[in-house]
Amino acid sequence: MQTDYTVETSVVEGNPSFKQIDELIGAPLETLPNRNFLIAISITASMLLTGAIALGFSLYYGIGMWGNNNPVGWGFDIVNFVFWVGIGHAGTLISAILFLFRQKWRTGIARFAEGMTIFAVMTAGLFPALHTGRPWLDHYLIPHPNDHSLWVNFTSPLLWDVFAVSTYFIVSAIFWYVGLIPDFANLRDRTKNKIKKIVYTITSFGWRGSNRHWQNYEMVYLILAGFATPLVLSVHTIVSFDFAVSIIPGWHTTIFPPYFVAGAVFSGFAMVQNCLILLRKVFHYEHIITLDTLEKMNKIIIVTGSMVGYAYAMEFFIAWYSGNSAEAFTFVNRAFGDYAWAYWIMVSCNVIFPQLFWIKKLRRSIPVMLVIGILVNVGMWFERFVITVTSLSRDFLPSSWAYYKPTLVDGGLLIGSFGLFFTLLLIFTKTMPVVSIAEIKAVLPGAQPTHHKAESNNGK
Amino acid sequence: MNQNNHDYVKKPLPPKFGTYGLGFAALGLILSILALVADPVRASFDSLIVFVFLIGMGMCSLFLIGLEYLTGAVWSVPFRRIAEYLVPLVFIAPIFAIPVFFNFSHVFQWANPEYLTLHKTVMAKTAFLNPQFFYIRITAIIVLVGLFSIVIIRNSAKQDNNSDQNLTKKNIRLSAGLMPIFGLGITLIGIDWIMSLEPLWFSTIFGVYYFAGSLLTAFAAITLIAIKLKSFGALPSWITKDHFYNLGAFLFAFINFWAYIAFSQFMLIWYANLPEETFWFLSRTQGSWLYISIGIIFIKFIIPYAGLLSQPSKSNINRLKYVGWWIIFAQFFDLYWLIMPTFSKSGAVFSWTELGFPLLGLGLVMILFKYSYTKRNLIPIGDPKLKRAMDFHL
Repeated sequence: MQTDYTVETSVVEGNPSFKQIDELIGAPLETLPNRNFLIAISITASMLLTGAIALGFSLYYGIGMWGNNNPVGWGFDIVNFVFWVGIGHAGTLISAILFLFRQKWRTGIARFAEGMTIFAVMTAGLFPALHTGRPWLDHYLIPHPNDHSLWVNFTSPLLWDVFAVSTYFIVSAIFWYVGLIPDFANLRDRTKNKIKKIVYTITSFGWRGSNRHWQNYEMVYLILAGFATPLVLSVHTIVSFDFAVSIIPGWHTTIFPPYFVAGAVFSGFAMVQNCLILLRKVFHYEHIITLDTLEKMNKIIIVTGSMVGYAYAMEFFIAWYSGNSAEAFTFVNRAFGDYAWAYWIMVSCNVIFPQLFWIKKLRRSIPVMLVIGILVNVGMWFERFVITVTSLSRDFLPSSWAYYKPTLVDGGLLIGSFGLFFTLLLIFTKTMPVVSIAEIKAVLPGAQPTHHKAESNNGK
Repeated sequence: MNQNNHDYVKKPLPPKFGTYGLGFAALGLILSILALVADPVRASFDSLIVFVFLIGMGMCSLFLIGLEYLTGAVWSVPFRRIAEYLVPLVFIAPIFAIPVFFNFSHVFQWANPEYLTLHKTVMAKTAFLNPQFFYIRITAIIVLVGLFSIVIIRNSAKQDNNSDQNLTKKNIRLSAGLMPIFGLGITLIGIDWIMSLEPLWFSTIFGVYYFAGSLLTAFAAITLIAIKLKSFGALPSWITKDHFYNLGAFLFAFINFWAYIAFSQFMLIWYANLPEETFWFLSRTQGSWLYISIGIIFIKFIIPYAGLLSQPSKSNINRLKYVGWWIIFAQFFDLYWLIMPTFSKSGAVFSWTELGFPLLGLGLVMILFKYSYTKRNLIPIGDPKLKRAMDFHL
């Protein structure tokens, strides 16, 4: 296929009319859940229930139910936390950073990805809240005057996490909601159901689509994108500090901040790509979330995957180059020690398989990208596992070395986290427009006047 | 084949430009030779600074060209040739490695057998840090990156005549192939030529640090040259404020990227406080080095950051020009801070001997620029994306 570089390829295929867009995106909200949806949500809700049972055990008997031991004081709790925060990063990258880069192809996927960010951060937040052991005392994490004279430790990156993640969550949620306002107004005007009318009237804040409204909206959206960009980078940077400021071999290495950010975007994109493949199929959005868009996402996956591979290689090289025997031991132990199986899952899923995307055919094949996306997420989960567990289980004192084995409760919480995430996502798809109606209309061919010349866009 | 309705007319550079270039080069050469006679080791360090400065700038210019092809960027098409003019620095920079070559064991302590007997840790690294392998690495990088650069630039030049879209496609493929080699290459140059000056010290982010600084410099140089060319009317009129806004915005982004990487490196080493790592920063607080170290924060981050923070400043031609010059200076300052403490441990040294090599470098860049500019069009008139670049607006 010969690409014509002289014309900009439209991000929406088939040139649908505004009315068709309204109807297509409004359709899932105006129909009752069908059988497939009910099957899907019963699966995710069962997973959620599994998690709830595990949570019950953790709360009733305490976190001794987890596999954590001495010296592995950090187990599934931090692994899951970092994993889910990472998943959230793709949403902000798509909705904010690609917006600043004026990438139009983000339009079809930004809303959904941003929703995933919010649910992922909510899921992630569970784990640090739980791991304190007495979650009902978690409010002490926030520095507020209290009669116990308890004050937070500002020099700990774990506390910075509290601030970073909560700020990130708030800004993401506002950003997401601001984008939804014009769409809620659209739905309000379309709906014939009285209750929905009231709900949409409240949620759309009296949006009339006037010029003034749009002007303010665009400015707010731009400013929020500007805020979200450094925030998203700071969040995973601080998550990486949780490890890197310590002097545990394998944790303390200067490349951690950019490496964690790249890894987060990597796994997040894989997750978004996977969910979008299903979404576009079920809702018939193939011409809005096009194959070209998915291919671009796969390109980002290979770029970030290679960055992660670069970081692995640098860590290994410097572990040898530093001449530090503890550091060198840690890395040899990762590759050939007790947890070699986890290490090689990580390397093959994160570095080797994504390289298949160099081939255009595979990059554009839905089944292939679905499988690679899943593998990437498996690999990235194991990356956090490898970092956390291998370093701790072989710490400075060989006499205290121990093998970490997660318990059923750990597994239940992990399953539950997936259950929570996907349940929220499913509810989202039936209650809010998963593609921005207003933004999609703006990128349709002919919708954008060029302000340099009087001639209107010639479309194709 | 499409015909771009560009109103580009080739305009020769002012004759003074070449004269100045030759003048700087000649003066620089004399000063450099005098510096080499006066203190060969010190002059080698000075020369090393210019070497890593120029090779980083050349390589990152090629990286930016590749980035344009891979991302399908449109707005940068009219500026791409400026980057293409700078890429041959990859071949010119090694001139500045010659003094280092002749004083090798004085510059790189790991090549000094006496030092090795004293430092068993460094002895263990000689599988990597030995002169033979060192030269093999730099030669391989220059040859590989150089080959890519020659083919990519030749394809781009050919397009001026035949407007063949297949050439764009070829260059996209080549750019994809270039990226891994570039990444490895720039990392190894950073580690070999700067980090290994202190063979005991290590930092996994160092390759990225060198990349971030070089990328920023290459971008600043391109911006600066674009403004200079505009000022004497060599750029076509359809290059508007919007194009310059993008230059400013990316410059701002790259300033932040460098600062992020630099902060990550410092912060983690400071917080963990391991003597095997902190000594490198501590040695940069000795004597007057302390002021240079603090100066880095202002010179390479706060001042250019403040200069480009506001929205209008990013398309303010004058502002961009000053920030462009400033960043080129800041990169010298940064490299001086990275490299010179190995030579002069007690405090910063600066006199006429430090001026020769940068002056020679500037002269050579100007001569190279004049040569490339005369040989090729400034605007890639056959590029299929040019029409869209002409229509580009924010």
